[in-house]
Amino acid sequence: MDSTASETAPILPPDLTDDSITERITGIVVKRKMGYGWIGGFAIAFALLMMFNYAIAVLFTYGVGIWGIQVPVAWGFAIVNFVWWVGIGHAGTFISAVLYLCHQEWRTSINRFTESMTLFAVACAGLFPILHLGRPWLFFYLMPYPNTMELWPQFRSPLVWDVFAVTTYAIVSVIFYFVGLLPDLATLRDRSPHRWQRIIYGILALGWRGAGRQWSRYKMAYLIMAGLATPLVVSVHSIVSLDFAVGIVPGWHTTIMPFYFVAAALESGFAMGLILIIPVRHFYGLKDIITGRHLANMAKLLLATSLVVGHGYFTDTFMSWYSADPYDKFITADKFTGSYAFGGWMLMILDVGVVQLIWIRAVRQSPIALFFIAILANVGLWLDHFILVVQSLHSDYLPSEWRMFYGTKWDWMTLFGSFGLFLTLFFVFIRIFPMVAMSEMRGLVHKKPGETKEAGA
Amino acid sequence: MLRLSPLSSMKSLPLPPQVQIDAGGPRFWKSLEEWSQSPDFLPYLHREFPEYASAWDNGMSRRRFLKLMAASFALAGLTSCSRQPQEKIVPYVRRPEEIIPGKPLYYATTFSHRGYGKGVLVRTEMGRPTKIEGNPDHPASLGATDVFMQASILGLYDPDRSQTIRQGNDISTRDAFTQFVGARIEAHEQDQGAGLFLLTGKTTSPTLADQLQRLHERFPKLSWCSYEPAAPVRAQSILGHDAEPVYDLSKADIIVSLDADFLLDGPANLVLTKAFSKKRRDPAADFNRLYVIESAPSITGAKADVRWRRKPSEVITFTQQLAAAIAQGVAGDSPEIRQLANDLQQHRGRGVIIAGDYQPEVVHALAFQLNQTLGNIGSTVTYQEAQQTPIPTTSLPDFVTALKRRAASTLLIAGANPIYDLSPAWGFSNAMARVTHSIHLGLYDDETGSRCHWHVPGSHYLEAWGDILAIDGTPSLLQPVIEPLYPDAVSLVEVISLLVDLPPKKGYEIVREFWQRSLAADVPAAWELSLNKGVVAGLSPQALSPTPVVSVRDAPPEDLPNSSDLEILFRPDTAVDDGRFANNAWLQELPRPLTKLTWDNVAMISLATAKSMGVTTGDVVRLEAAGQSVDAPVWIQPGHADGCVSVTLGYGRSQLGEVANGVGFNAGLLRSSVAAWSQALTRAQATGARLELASTQHHFSMEGRDLIQIETLADYKTDPSQAQENQPNPPPEENLYPPFAYKDYAWAMSIDLNTCVGCNACVVACQSENNIPVVGKDQVFKGREMHWIRIDRYFEGEPEDPAMHFQPVTCMQCEDAPCEVVCPVGATVHTSEGLNDMVYNRCVGTRYCSNNCPYKVRRFNFLEYSDATHPTLALQKNPDVTVRSRGVMEKCTYCVQRIESARIDAQKEMRPIRDGEIVTACQAACPADAIVFGNINDPASRVSRLKALPRNYGLLADLNTHPRTTYLAKVTNPPTAI
Amino acid sequence: MSDDAKIYGLLAEFAGPDELVRGAREVSKAGYRRVETYTPFAVEGISDALHFRPFAVAVIFLVAALLSASAGYFMQYYASVISYPENIGGRPLNSWPSFVPITFEMGVLGGVLGGVLGMLLLNRLPRYSHPVANVERFRAASSDAFFLCVESSDPRFELDRTKAALRHSGAIQVTEVPLES
Repeated sequence: MDSTASETAPILPPDLTDDSITERITGIVVKRKMGYGWIGGFAIAFALLMMFNYAIAVLFTYGVGIWGIQVPVAWGFAIVNFVWWVGIGHAGTFISAVLYLCHQEWRTSINRFTESMTLFAVACAGLFPILHLGRPWLFFYLMPYPNTMELWPQFRSPLVWDVFAVTTYAIVSVIFYFVGLLPDLATLRDRSPHRWQRIIYGILALGWRGAGRQWSRYKMAYLIMAGLATPLVVSVHSIVSLDFAVGIVPGWHTTIMPFYFVAAALESGFAMGLILIIPVRHFYGLKDIITGRHLANMAKLLLATSLVVGHGYFTDTFMSWYSADPYDKFITADKFTGSYAFGGWMLMILDVGVVQLIWIRAVRQSPIALFFIAILANVGLWLDHFILVVQSLHSDYLPSEWRMFYGTKWDWMTLFGSFGLFLTLFFVFIRIFPMVAMSEMRGLVHKKPGETKEAGA
Repeated sequence: MLRLSPLSSMKSLPLPPQVQIDAGGPRFWKSLEEWSQSPDFLPYLHREFPEYASAWDNGMSRRRFLKLMAASFALAGLTSCSRQPQEKIVPYVRRPEEIIPGKPLYYATTFSHRGYGKGVLVRTEMGRPTKIEGNPDHPASLGATDVFMQASILGLYDPDRSQTIRQGNDISTRDAFTQFVGARIEAHEQDQGAGLFLLTGKTTSPTLADQLQRLHERFPKLSWCSYEPAAPVRAQSILGHDAEPVYDLSKADIIVSLDADFLLDGPANLVLTKAFSKKRRDPAADFNRLYVIESAPSITGAKADVRWRRKPSEVITFTQQLAAAIAQGVAGDSPEIRQLANDLQQHRGRGVIIAGDYQPEVVHALAFQLNQTLGNIGSTVTYQEAQQTPIPTTSLPDFVTALKRRAASTLLIAGANPIYDLSPAWGFSNAMARVTHSIHLGLYDDETGSRCHWHVPGSHYLEAWGDILAIDGTPSLLQPVIEPLYPDAVSLVEVISLLVDLPPKKGYEIVREFWQRSLAADVPAAWELSLNKGVVAGLSPQALSPTPVVSVRDAPPEDLPNSSDLEILFRPDTAVDDGRFANNAWLQELPRPLTKLTWDNVAMISLATAKSMGVTTGDVVRLEAAGQSVDAPVWIQPGHADGCVSVTLGYGRSQLGEVANGVGFNAGLLRSSVAAWSQALTRAQATGARLELASTQHHFSMEGRDLIQIETLADYKTDPSQAQENQPNPPPEENLYPPFAYKDYAWAMSIDLNTCVGCNACVVACQSENNIPVVGKDQVFKGREMHWIRIDRYFEGEPEDPAMHFQPVTCMQCEDAPCEVVCPVGATVHTSEGLNDMVYNRCVGTRYCSNNCPYKVRRFNFLEYSDATHPTLALQKNPDVTVRSRGVMEKCTYCVQRIESARIDAQKEMRPIRDGEIVTACQAACPADAIVFGNINDPASRVSRLKALPRNYGLLADLNTHPRTTYLAKVTNPPTAI
Repeated sequence: MSDDAKIYGLLAEFAGPDELVRGAREVSKAGYRRVETYTPFAVEGISDALHFRPFAVAVIFLVAALLSASAGYFMQYYASVISYPENIGGRPLNSWPSFVPITFEMGVLGGVLGGVLGMLLLNRLPRYSHPVANVERFRAASSDAFFLCVESSDPRFELDRTKAALRHSGAIQVTEVPLES
């Protein structure tokens, strides 16, 4: 295997210079013609997106009754998808912010990438809470807005916390993304061959000139933002988890929730990161910039988070036994022996079991293997949320109201349709923005080789 | 001739006689009226667009409703000028002379079912009947209602009711029909009515009886047959008397039901339920014991302290053994018999043996003998002469053969549906085909109607004048609370009047004249009083004639199928009865008490029988009996007797309406006669097909959770407060926050699981009061039924023969409501009186509240459920309750609209709301008085006193939700020997 | 010196980041204050060389975060206690534990918005154009060229002397920056 595949490969190719970085990264955006691969991929993504629109149109026409939800299982795919997508949206900011604070320089090759992934995932996630409303046209009731009736949201409800958390997260991610992009936009402005490109990028670059004082303020702001984004990442999925933890539904009402939700979020994020990066670095020949070492590091993070999730499962199960709460006990037993036992076991096999393969060096170094492990892990995490939502609800306190939940075709169309939205945005992104943070790369290039070496995972 | 003038829909209003209205308005409407239905106009129009006949009908009806409404509002405005109605009817309670818009008026009338009457009070809003309540003054209602009475209001507005007179395939007119009848009269003057055939359902109407006598005088040879597909069996041939047993359960300490579902079925069900539950209300005081021997589980069986499941033939043998044991004192070897006999002996004169209405004559005779030997007759049971028919009747078989023989003839069918009821073996349709002139009078142009030359729309009982007897013989009147929605609609007495009176009279005249003759001296006063009270004043029930002893020994031996045979038993359906209510969506969607099944009838079998047949719930089996076969889905029912299949009548309708058609299978086809309630089943084999059945409750067991607290009487006496110990309220210090203070009122409810018999009356009452939509089978199947109050049914013990328990579950109105905290928009909040309110306009439908409700009482409009397409249905809606739209959560409100109207009355009189002044819909309907609502801030209120009882406990109280609705634990009274 | 007024300053290009830092140190040692560097990435040590500390940004972040956090709490308090008090599940009107999450989120949101806005404004962004951009070669500053500019407004600025100083400090090329292109 070539040097770049090994996980000990340098995080940068030795021959990389400021100019060559700029040349290659901007090249992809401003010079390279659309390949058939790109067009094909985009076509598929767009088709899915259209299916999504269709499903939504039908939904708005007839109401959420087209889904499988009922009483007692009044929440179904919509919430599951929401939680799952928000989770995916976590890795980006985590990589950009937390790893930045930890001076993990290898992140530079991938942070732009994962940040954009975050934005698109959050975009998908943001849709579902609105779709899932019985009267979606009144979604703004959840926001505090001035009205003559002096009606306010009910701030004790976790759903309102959600609105604030997710909105904040979306806005901050966009800003974080844009600020990171600013110098590169300036580069694009100065390197674009066509006038119209120069104008567009010129406007976006806000007239950035890379002056020393600008840089130092910029660095300071970026650092503080990273500092703020870190607790934000943790808070967002914690709050999402409170949607469940605050409820009195057995299986929801546990304190482990925030902890293991965040872990699950990061796991799905890293997994999705791998799923996207591996093909892109292959098709756009970025193997030397996003090296095997990067993949290996991502994989290690995936492994770590999966272990935390596993711990979460264990604690959850243990606590329901230890609490001696008959309802909680019942629901936990039901998870592994009841009607949903298959899902109950399968999710653990996928998002914890399979991921353990990463312990093996050969697996860590094989992009293909990582690619599929990542996919399985994400399927597992979707199942995890499904079981959490549906299985807990389907048999709670009064046996008289126990019922099985079955998703309808509309449920599935909405789920797969959301992939369409995500991928479409992604295909557009790789066409118009540099997928590697050039300015930071340059910074690395000029580091003494020694520093760069021992920096790393 | 009935002419609908819109203002006349206000005839029901009590208006001062002296004032005269200017007739200008009405005349305009009338002229339009006549224009739209002038004899030559309709046929012309019909020739023009034959295929749009129905569409035109709807158009007409719709316009008529608009006119009705318009008129109502017009009158509401015209409070100053009002007029003397031509047919004055009298409101139940004295109201201000002029109508107050938005203020309902109550009228007493009588709901008649299978020929007997149950008094009702009808609430009308601006001339629209919207709700049925029981009539406390009526001996068969005593203020309570059953599901049929409650749902009958929907029948009035059923869009599928026939709306015009039909001759052949053409719309015809009243005049044409009158002329036709005139011609037939002439024809039958010749043959003295030999060719005149009259087929009706059972009726006890004195007026009708009088008319029939006159009819008989005019046509001595006419043949009249009156039958009911679900008629009770009586021991006439054995006892020599058609003796009607009347039970007084208030004196009975030991009740033995020989497959008698007396709590749910029959003309006396409400009376019996009241008396039965009275002796269960206070375990400390006297407490009855109920033995039930039955084949298919019934609510009576569910309430039993001792229940033995026996297949039909075994019920007979059981009765014979019991009789022997009592008579000769020879206690058989069976411990059950010994136990029961011994218990009865100990309670001589204080026990009662009730033979099921659908048991063969011998069982009734034996029951009579048992009651007599035990000295129960005169105390717990009395026998009275059953209603004698005014003129000789023809039995159904004779009637059919006569029809077949007779060539030129006239057949009038009213209130009967032989084509549906009778199996093809009867050949009734051939017989009808030979009839030269057949007339059908009925609410629907149904299976029978469509085969008749003439169909005349029958008027609903809320639209008609009439009278009927209660089971104890008390006569009561029917007065219309609304003009017929369809002007062609007539009642049976009016049709008979065409035959006997010249000129034909209107219902009012007929009924009034009859009572003029039979009423006490001061006719106008007595008449008013009778209408006012709903029962004919001054007429006490007929004297009961003691029945002479008749030896039962020489009773014809029952030809019992040998014990190995599979038997089939038929019962009227608990929701659609014999099919007359099959088009009533409320009843179709009403979960049957024990199966919780909706929208279908099933072949019910026991677990063991299912095993032996190798089938399971949902498998379709072909049942063959009496030379006929039907395909029926299997339902495995815990507590069902082995070796028999039980099916219910009333399904498999083909020509009734949108709701009924194609639902279920017609079990009636398998009956060898209309009196056959159980018989040998020739064959039952699986077809391999499957049918999805929409049940609202899938889980049988309580999973060992203390949801329904049950204790035996013995345990209760030793430790009355067991229930609270099992389900204690958490100590206050477990609350993080100080409790809210509820100053003036604190509404709460108490539900007594001991008296509740699970009859479902509350469910339909709630549906009718609160505009609760019907969602249809597939939505119920998905789990989206909308009932605000549901009755949970649990089985306890062996799946083969479990104990059965009911638990009505409404919104608990928790003081610390989990649903409120999680609502992001404050759409469900707490009032200062402790109500957990829904703000529909604010609800965006996150459904989080439903997830977080431990009682799962919240209902969500997943789709647009409220029916806006049928204008008639809109008329039934309660104007005080919002009709909910798609995407909105809803639930029990403790009938907040009733609380508010009581508050308004109280405030007008500057006084606090009295205890018992607010009666929720479910409470009002309950025949067992199991539900009590009131203010717990008033320690003297009934509900406070009930909550002070040691039996009182809160459902899932350990969750610290502080439910305002609490339950009284169930106490059973099994004999110590068993 | 009349012609000094016509130029914005002198733009010196250096071979690489390290040369630039060295150059910047010398120039500022020589007493020039109105000095600015232009680099494709944040070169370490530049701010020291230019004697610059970006405290203002940090302060803005802090203040903005605190302000919006307290605003967040007040909004909830006002809504649930003053404007629209309701008995919600028996909870007290001011159930502060439930108000924490939103307060925190508002803090972060306000902080980031304020801070970034502050950073841009302090950096005089957005800006349409800048004199240094008049030098053709300057376009490389965003990819691989390292510049240092001494502005003519500097009191010690003298065209020839400053040119010499820049060359001496290691610039590979020095060009005059015209005020308008």
